[in-house]
Amino acid sequence: MKLSFLLLPAYALFLILFTVFSYLYLDKNLIFLANFYTGFSTTNRILVSLLFFLLVVIFFFFYYFFLRQIKKGSIKLKNVVLLTCLILFFSYPAMLSYDIFNYVTTAKVAFTYHENPYIIKPNELTGDKNLLFTRASNKTALYGPSWIIATGIPNLLGGGNFIVTLFSQKLLVLVFYLCTSFLILKITKSPLYSAIFSLNPLVIIETLVSGHNDIFMMFFALLSLFLISQRKLGGGLFSGFISIFVKYSTLFLVPVLIEVFVNRYRKKEINWGKIYYHSALLMFAIFLLSFFREMYPWYAIWFLIFVSIVPNRRILTYTGLGFSFGLLLSYIPYMYSGDYFGNSLIAKNILIFLPVIVVLVLELKGRPWLRKFS
Amino acid sequence: MLKEIKVLIRPEYVKKYLLCIAIVTIFMVNFVSPVFAQSSSYVLPYPSFMPGSTFYRPHLLWEVISKYFYFGSLGQFKYNLGESDKYIVEAKTLYEYGQYMYASNSLNKSNEFFKNSLDSLNNAQKENKDVSLQRELLKGAALKHIEVLEKSESFLPEVVVWSPEKVKPKTIYIKKDIDEAMSIRRKIL
Repeated sequence: MKLSFLLLPAYALFLILFTVFSYLYLDKNLIFLANFYTGFSTTNRILVSLLFFLLVVIFFFFYYFFLRQIKKGSIKLKNVVLLTCLILFFSYPAMLSYDIFNYVTTAKVAFTYHENPYIIKPNELTGDKNLLFTRASNKTALYGPSWIIATGIPNLLGGGNFIVTLFSQKLLVLVFYLCTSFLILKITKSPLYSAIFSLNPLVIIETLVSGHNDIFMMFFALLSLFLISQRKLGGGLFSGFISIFVKYSTLFLVPVLIEVFVNRYRKKEINWGKIYYHSALLMFAIFLLSFFREMYPWYAIWFLIFVSIVPNRRILTYTGLGFSFGLLLSYIPYMYSGDYFGNSLIAKNILIFLPVIVVLVLELKGRPWLRKFS
Repeated sequence: MLKEIKVLIRPEYVKKYLLCIAIVTIFMVNFVSPVFAQSSSYVLPYPSFMPGSTFYRPHLLWEVISKYFYFGSLGQFKYNLGESDKYIVEAKTLYEYGQYMYASNSLNKSNEFFKNSLDSLNNAQKENKDVSLQRELLKGAALKHIEVLEKSESFLPEVVVWSPEKVKPKTIYIKKDIDEAMSIRRKIL
């Protein structure tokens, strides 16, 4: 009881520190926040890397404690999720990735300039101030039409003010984070299962801090399966289409849909636990395939969402946990060296996979029946 | 007076005059008339489907559909310039194959799209969009088009009478068509 009483204020304090810390990464070219620019993250690389490592570790401690408390029922998931949203909403979104600038600028191409973002690249809009800090401005829209349309909302709310638009963009992602937490709760009817996803530090950082659109894509993928399970086929397929036309990754879930329809056609009872497990496996497969291009930390959200629905699949759950930790640590080599390649790349890959290996070895050692085979 | 003229045409002065004329000529060629002397680095597309090909009609349909995909003034500029480029290449290829009637049609289409691309750019400017890059691009395209047209003009007859089977013969004024196409493009330089 005492721990749960202290846990929330300590967590709030920690999140405030994390939010302040995020502003150390302000981009020099972000003229709209020039007054806050310190250049700290580039001039104190060792210190910043150590602090980030420490913050990630503390984040995982909080994760562990919250899961325990939620399991006991001494802390309400709703309170933790809302507190996290309330504080991290104000964090600097381009701390670890610049994707959010790309979302905002692409939306500007479509909704402010009324140009087709699949035809006109941001850098063709000479003189636009967003070009000073937007990465990949020499490329046409990187995301599907569902996402482009969704980004029209923050663009509209922003009313031409970059900062308001940026935080409206964060708000959009935050809303879908809340919807996803609620949907998992509705599917599993377990606050613990929902917490496994919602309070995962990787999910929180990549969604509530960096504002990645993967939560939007995965919410609709999950909603699609949920609606189909409720025999709402039209809504389910429509959600599926929305999800696919964000990043096209959820196309990998089509075999699962086929499995559902074949079972339904044969009038077999559908084991939805298995369906979510297969979804987790498929999304895990595409996540692993991304390694051949580049394994971005926020891609883990693709399978973590399904893992949280079937956490009794322990190997997958622990693998997800290992990846969550490793992928967050994988930011450190760049923070430390300012270089993406060479030793930095090697260190990054080691940091991604080492925690997974450690977690799996510990998990396997804890299973007596596996020892019989060794 | 006669004495002064004789002094002016003395051999040592004639050399100086020739030198001056040479310098002025080089200056004129290089700076005053870049349209004729410079070769544009602008790249034209490969020839697309040609009239008579099975895919030519579907390709025309696609052209109409894609017009709506290129919404926005800058999008329209891209679309029109792309089409103008495509048709100038088509016209050049058809001229080379002696298909003067088709070539003339393609050239007219290219002209129309070229004019439209300028209109789209003006619309973009009215919408307060910075079009400096696009204007440079259009100039580059105009130079390239003129280069292609000049080359074609050098080997083509000025006038031909096109007389296909069962159809009334038609006179095609190739030189006039090409000159008109070049004058449309020169207007923006």
